[in-house]
Amino acid sequence: MKFYLKWPLLAVMLVLVLCTSARLQAQGAGNVSGTVVDSVGNATLPGVSVVIKGTSKGVTTDVDGKFRIQTSAGDVLTFSFIGYKKVEVPVGNQSVINVVLRQDNTVLDELVVVGYGTVKKSSVTASVAKVENTVLDQIPVGRPESVLAGRLAGVNVTQNNTSPGSAPLIRIRGASSIDAGNDPLVVIDGFPGGSLGSVSTNDIESIEVLKDASAAAIYGSRGAGGVIIVTTKKGKSGKARFNFNAYAGVANAKGHKDWITGQEYYDYAVRYQNREYKWIGGDTSIPVWNDARRPNAYQVSDVLKNGNNVIWEDEVLQSAVIQHYNLSVGGGNDHVKYYVSGTLKDEQGTLKNTSYKNYGVRANVDVTVNSIVSLGFMLNPSYAKRRFASADINNYVKFPSFVAVQNPDGTYPNARSYWGAVVSGQTNPMATLDGSYYYGTTVNNLGEAFINLNLAKGLSFRSSLSTNLASNSTDRFQASWAVSTGLNSGSQALSSTTSIANENVLSYTNTFKGVHSLSAIAGASYQKYNSSNSSMAAVNGSFNNDIIHTLNNAIINPSASTSSKSQWGLISYFSRVNYGYKDKYLLSASIRTDGSSRFGPENKWGYFPSASAAWRMSQEDFMKNVGAVSELKLRASYGATGNFNIGDFEYLGQIGDVYYSPNNTLTKGQTQVSYGNNSLSWEKTKSYDFGLELGLFRNRVNLVLDYYDKRTSGLLYNVSIPSITGFTSSLSNVGSVSNKGFEIELTTKNLVGEFKWETSFNLAKNTNKVEDLGGVTERIATDTYGMGWILRLGQPMFSYYGYKIVGVLQNEEDVKNSPVLAGSVPGNPKFQDVNGDGQITSADKVILGNFQPKAYFGLINNFAYKAFDLSIAMQASVGAKMYNFENEYYQGALLGAMRRSMVDTQWWSEAEPGNGMVPASSLSKLTYQSSSDAYIEDASFLAVRNINLGYTVPANVSQKLHLSGLRVYTSLANPFMFTKKGFHGYNPEGYTGGEIAGTGSKPGYNNGAAPINRVYTLGLNFNF
Amino acid sequence: MHQDMNISRHIKTGLMLMALGFTSCEDKLLNLTPDSVLTPTNFYKNAADINQAVLGIYNSLQTRRQTDYLLMEVPADNLYMSANTTIAGSNDVDFLTVNADNALTAAFWNTTYNGVFRANAVLLNIDTPTNYTAGQKDQYIGEAKFMRALYYFDLVRVFGAVPKVVDKISIPEAAALPKATEEEIYSLIIEDLTDAAAKLPARKSTATGRASKGAAMALLGKVYVYRQDWANAKTQLEKVINELDYKLVADFASLWKLETEDNDEVIFTVKYVDGTNGQSLSTSYTPNGGLVGIADRGAETSLPSWSLLKKYEEADKRKAATVKEWWTSPAQPNAEPIYYPYVSKYAVKHSYGASGIDIPVLRYADIVLLYAETLFKQGDKANALVQLNKIRERAFGNAAHNYKGTETADLMDLILNERQLELAYEHERWFDLVRSGKYLTVMKQEERLYNYAAKTPVVVELAPKDFMKVYPIPQAQIDLSSGLKQNNGY
Repeated sequence: MKFYLKWPLLAVMLVLVLCTSARLQAQGAGNVSGTVVDSVGNATLPGVSVVIKGTSKGVTTDVDGKFRIQTSAGDVLTFSFIGYKKVEVPVGNQSVINVVLRQDNTVLDELVVVGYGTVKKSSVTASVAKVENTVLDQIPVGRPESVLAGRLAGVNVTQNNTSPGSAPLIRIRGASSIDAGNDPLVVIDGFPGGSLGSVSTNDIESIEVLKDASAAAIYGSRGAGGVIIVTTKKGKSGKARFNFNAYAGVANAKGHKDWITGQEYYDYAVRYQNREYKWIGGDTSIPVWNDARRPNAYQVSDVLKNGNNVIWEDEVLQSAVIQHYNLSVGGGNDHVKYYVSGTLKDEQGTLKNTSYKNYGVRANVDVTVNSIVSLGFMLNPSYAKRRFASADINNYVKFPSFVAVQNPDGTYPNARSYWGAVVSGQTNPMATLDGSYYYGTTVNNLGEAFINLNLAKGLSFRSSLSTNLASNSTDRFQASWAVSTGLNSGSQALSSTTSIANENVLSYTNTFKGVHSLSAIAGASYQKYNSSNSSMAAVNGSFNNDIIHTLNNAIINPSASTSSKSQWGLISYFSRVNYGYKDKYLLSASIRTDGSSRFGPENKWGYFPSASAAWRMSQEDFMKNVGAVSELKLRASYGATGNFNIGDFEYLGQIGDVYYSPNNTLTKGQTQVSYGNNSLSWEKTKSYDFGLELGLFRNRVNLVLDYYDKRTSGLLYNVSIPSITGFTSSLSNVGSVSNKGFEIELTTKNLVGEFKWETSFNLAKNTNKVEDLGGVTERIATDTYGMGWILRLGQPMFSYYGYKIVGVLQNEEDVKNSPVLAGSVPGNPKFQDVNGDGQITSADKVILGNFQPKAYFGLINNFAYKAFDLSIAMQASVGAKMYNFENEYYQGALLGAMRRSMVDTQWWSEAEPGNGMVPASSLSKLTYQSSSDAYIEDASFLAVRNINLGYTVPANVSQKLHLSGLRVYTSLANPFMFTKKGFHGYNPEGYTGGEIAGTGSKPGYNNGAAPINRVYTLGLNFNF
Repeated sequence: MHQDMNISRHIKTGLMLMALGFTSCEDKLLNLTPDSVLTPTNFYKNAADINQAVLGIYNSLQTRRQTDYLLMEVPADNLYMSANTTIAGSNDVDFLTVNADNALTAAFWNTTYNGVFRANAVLLNIDTPTNYTAGQKDQYIGEAKFMRALYYFDLVRVFGAVPKVVDKISIPEAAALPKATEEEIYSLIIEDLTDAAAKLPARKSTATGRASKGAAMALLGKVYVYRQDWANAKTQLEKVINELDYKLVADFASLWKLETEDNDEVIFTVKYVDGTNGQSLSTSYTPNGGLVGIADRGAETSLPSWSLLKKYEEADKRKAATVKEWWTSPAQPNAEPIYYPYVSKYAVKHSYGASGIDIPVLRYADIVLLYAETLFKQGDKANALVQLNKIRERAFGNAAHNYKGTETADLMDLILNERQLELAYEHERWFDLVRSGKYLTVMKQEERLYNYAAKTPVVVELAPKDFMKVYPIPQAQIDLSSGLKQNNGY
């Protein structure tokens, strides 16, 4: 209540503060003055907070590190500064107090969460990365995983769908599984299998990523994709401390700049139609319009130049408002500590009629009953609602420019309303956007209760029961006027899942004779997952009106309505021992065994061991004299992890529903729909990691190097089988894939004086390779338009496979004299005749690149000057290729929207051959280029992901406002994105063909990925 | 002391908790059974299960039949692929340049063998249930055998010799299985159809869309024609004509209307219901811009060839029920119609991609023409002419266009010509051209889009070769098998 009353006053004062802050430096005619310097190099330190202990009275040092303060004899002055150890000096009768501050190197004593326990950072023997939430919650991205982009070496966070609320993809050290998923396991406060979408970034204390298998092995069967551990904030003893964080801003999509309209558009349409007409032997000297000698299919109506000049991209996109608010309070006493927070996110999408809302609450309570028993609980209910578009953006922006957005009477014209033939029969994009009501809602509650018993010195037992309850619904309705079929449609899908986990861990920690430190855990974990799904759909066209969108207004289609339940269970036993001798020699070993209901009776159990060792050379006597080296650690590890992310009961052949309509009556039949495989078992990943950690000059320079080699075998995927069995594939454990690579993380404190500059750079290079395919050398899946995705021994998974263009066929002569695909005409590509047999056959297909980047980089620069701080996060990716199939829409087909960069280099006729490399693009000849590298583009990029500028109001001012801290900030997300020339997509990370999910996967296929949004926000964060 | 006791009690509690987990949880968590799906071990247990499994056999055909035109009409002179839509592999079929990687033949192989598997599964489990009512078991056996025969008939016509599978086979067995000869496949078809004809109930006591005795008898007759076993063909076709009650309906156009799609001419058809269980063929033949009163939009995958259009005589009522030449855009219904020929045989009012009009497999007119052919081959030209003229008379509504037997053209050519006009877009043309050998001459040229103003068609030169009488075995299947060999020429 107090908070709300104060709020307007605060706002006014905030403005005052911003305007006058420069003058509000250390003032007053005090009787104590002095200078604060850094212990390294004696540089003076400005901005150090000097406060009389026990009061709110204080000043900060000026540009020269000087301060002056009025004190009484008994006062104690506290000098504090971020990154330095706090110093307290009793005033006594001194009038000059000069202070030397030492940098705080406690970073090495910082604890790292490693799964079922914590380890001192200096004692970690595996490759573990940690990000602490200092200002991450002030970066305007909807989900916590997005803020990790570019921050961790080897952790590739890609936003391939930019629509509000959608999750980014996370790949840790490359992908290795074909059909069982490559997502990392997310552990939220100990609960395995959580969703980051339900956690508010504000509530996060830290995020740890277990990158190598020796660290992830403690999560055994689910650690193959790496493990992300999220630890949320807990209350601390003391009086209630409130924190309010809010930002609001505007998002704008970054579109294309080369749409053509009017006469230019018409001229290309004529070229297009003439080219088509010529191909069937037509006489192109016949006028293109109003001449019966020219078949209708090859004419061009005058409306193309005399109609409207609409750029559809501009019409369907909008400036979108985004707002995030979080209020939290934490506090407690020796017995009870609490942290409670509420979050509200409200984001409009830059595509019209899309949005995302999320409300979440978190309560973390810890109770210490006595010296033995402590217990607590965590609750995190959240609700999210998304409105999403019925189709990808290419479907909207490809619409022809001569069509008006809306008629004066409010109806929407179509292209065919202007010209009955040839042009696209698609419905007006705004009609589709306005007449489609697609909503997804999620209610999620992650809850955990635990009890901890301190059984003896160093020995404790923790038992927890966690539940993740989720229910999702997807509601769709499309009005009859929103679709080209003229039939309204609707559906509703509901699902609810319960995941219950019970974990019991016995931990022991002790140090013997001061030099042998030992810690060990043993535990058991049980998890059960139940899901139920139901979905119903209306018979298309059966809604009585467009007013009521629920299915009671329509006839339910029985063949499109289902209901089902499923479940899985997992039992795990695990143990880990860490041993350290004089903090110098460190060893860790673990074993986990998992039993899963998903595998056949003989193969339910899997074993996942790991071992790792580290040597802290810097602790050796001979290193003590090497002053420059403050930390040097070598480590090596080996571990095995697993993957069981397949469907439930897939080892059994399953009977499924099919339909037939004897006597014109829809009747359900049944048939076996999967082959079944009793010997189905775990997919296993074994990996080695070698690392070096180096700290120089009192850790002003920190370097971490890692080399890893991981190999996944017994790949779970649907292997093709002879279809005379009745089935085309069977889920099996076949083949292996390797990922090898290295990572560099370099963190430097470049400037430590008044102007501070820290840089954190990371680089990861990964080489993905198919090692074994179970007896065959390659498997190719070819899509409808001829592009292949190949698994070939020695090559990265799912490389593009097709023909390589070497030129364009210029005329009939050229067609006759060149090796060509059957049916080629002038304008079609000339392909490389790989085997030189004078013709183009599937034997001439070659690997054309891969969707995975060869290397990716992150660079974070943090600057601080006085009360200002600036953070710039950059990300780069090199070597990924994208199959931009959507280009086809903008090259003239169906006389839809055209982009200049798509038509001006194209072959139109022998007289207008373009640049000689871009073949004629035509629907009738589509497979001639879609099966080649014509649409494969380099998706390398350099992006400035975020610029965050903050101003921390000096302590003495904020104290006058009765605040213990006040920061205002402005943030700019995605200000700059640089892509290679010749890249035509909206987003170099955006592809719509899905991730690797089975042998028919088309990763890197893009047909309508949405634009990147540039987001400007203004934010405010304060404590009281 | 007090503290110690406390600790040991806690340890005990903890250990008990863990022990509890060890023992009781394993069954509850690991040995789960599916809630919502049956498995092969608990299915096929009663007569109702078998009935459902039999419906499953039809479902394979129902799925495949919608795209059969791509392999059975597109290569011939009735149809060509539209420039507006791309279906992988269809261009190669259209231009007779099919290779072993073709996506359409691969899909056809997969779905047809899936149908064979479903028929085999019924036959292998037919003895398990004990609660059949009288005649029920025979009916299911008959249906499964009829459908298996139909699937193999399709396979042998499309690919020639193929592997013969009548049992459940393991992956290694399948990978080693060589092709059976065409002879062996046809023996199985004839054996299955003979047994089916003996066991299946009569048409009147069979649901439409399910196989009846007549369906098995008629298909057997057709198979004998393909075998050029004219004696057996004659006997079998005469049985169908004389013993059963099929007849030509008076109005050809009524065969292609939803209200009259079930009629006395239908011997076996694949049933569809608009919206909920519809077919995409109507949409495939509908122009992109749609058809007034029928559909707002079409897929226009393919268009009728001038080679066929030009053959229809003006008075032939079949033309208007098969193709339309003038098109009006539903977006501009009052505009002047434009010359834009499209296939209209399946053009009934329908939901996009889910039309309710049935796609026939066997129709009495087909049997009459096969009978005419059989009589001709046996030297009975007079009676062949009688049969042929039955079809002519129905087509023109009178006897004025009947053949006299004095035409210069060979009677066999007239029969084949009549088959093209009568059965256009019913998936017979390519097989008729192949079994008669005519594809080698007829398909050298195809007249496609007709320029109405210039009165000239687009002529496409093609190069039919002897080996093209069958399609290549899908390369993907050869790669997975040690026993499967590619057809000659590919």
